[in-house]
Amino acid sequence: MSNRPIFVVLGLCWTLAAPAIASAQTAAKPKLSASAIQIAMVESGGGVQIPAEFRFAVYERLVERVRASGAFQKVYRAGDRAADGIPDLVTLRTKVDAFKEGSQTKRELTSVTGATKVDVTASVTTRDGQTLLAQKIVGRVRYFGENLGVTNDLAKRITKLMRETF
Amino acid sequence: MKLFAATLITLAAVGLAWAQPAAAPADSNVRHVIGLDSIKQDATGKLTVQDGALRFTAGASEEKVPIASIDDIFVGTETTQSGGKTGRNVKIVAIAAPYESGKVLTLLMRTKVDILTVAYHDPDGALHGAIFALPIGQAALMRTQLTQAGAHASPPENPVSEGSKP
Repeated sequence: MSNRPIFVVLGLCWTLAAPAIASAQTAAKPKLSASAIQIAMVESGGGVQIPAEFRFAVYERLVERVRASGAFQKVYRAGDRAADGIPDLVTLRTKVDAFKEGSQTKRELTSVTGATKVDVTASVTTRDGQTLLAQKIVGRVRYFGENLGVTNDLAKRITKLMRETF
Repeated sequence: MKLFAATLITLAAVGLAWAQPAAAPADSNVRHVIGLDSIKQDATGKLTVQDGALRFTAGASEEKVPIASIDDIFVGTETTQSGGKTGRNVKIVAIAAPYESGKVLTLLMRTKVDILTVAYHDPDGALHGAIFALPIGQAALMRTQLTQAGAHASPPENPVSEGSKP
C-alpha cells in the first residue's frame, strides 16, 4: 500500500492553510493611532560626525513629507509650544548611527563608487516615554544628484514607515 | 561620426561656460535648498541682511527671518553641478552619447558651493532650518554679517563637509 494519497492530502492542506496563516499574521499587526506627531531634531549618536546641513535637511524634509502623507491630523516641529496640550502626541526621533559622505563626480563617472549613505534609527515614542516603534533605516544616493540628496531618500523611507504604522 | 563629435564639443563648451565662477554681486545667485515655507525649493534669488532680518527674495516671493530669532549658523561646502535645471537636463541627454563619452560633462560641469544653514525659531518656538547654496566663499561672509547684526551663532565647528569630496 502506498503512502502517496496521504502526502497529496497534506500538501493540499498546506497549500490552503498557508495564505490563511499569512493573512492572520498581517492582521495581527494593527495600525497604531495618534492624532498628532512632533518631529524632533535629528541627533547624531555615538560621536558620529555629520554636517549640520545634513541634519537640518533631514529634519525639514521629514516635516514636509510627514505633513504631505496625511498620516496625522497635525504635524508639529521640535519646540513648538502648540503641541504641549495634545494628550495623544507622539514624537518621531531620528538618531544618526553612521554617515558616509560620497562623491557626486565618482558616482557619475563610475556608477559603482562614491555613494553617500546615512544609517539612522527612527523611533516613535509617546508622552510617557513608551517606545511604539524603533527601526533602522538607510538612506542612499547611488548615482545622480548631490550628496544632500541623501536626506530626501531618507525622509521618504521614514515617511513610508510612518504611513505603514499609523 | 562628425555629428557625434560636433555634439560632444558643443556640450563640452556649454559645460565649460557654466563651470566658470559666477560674476554676480555678493548677495545674488543664492539657491534656496529647503526651509523657507513661502519660497519654492531650488529657487534662486538674493540673500541679504537688512532691517534686522535675513531676507531671501526670489522673483515676487520674499521671506524674512528676524535676526533675533536665529539660534545658530553653520557653514559647509558641497560639490554640485553647474547650470541649474538646464545643466541637469543637458547631462541627462549627454548620457545617451555613445561609449559613455557624455560622462566628460560630469568633470566639466562640476562646481563647488558653500552651504549656509540658519537655525531659527518661529513665534511659537518651533525649530526651523533654512539651507542655502551660495557661491564659494560667500557663506562665511554672510555668517559674519549676521553675527555682526546680532544673530546668535556658536563657534564654527569642524564640519565633515569642509573637505567635501567632489
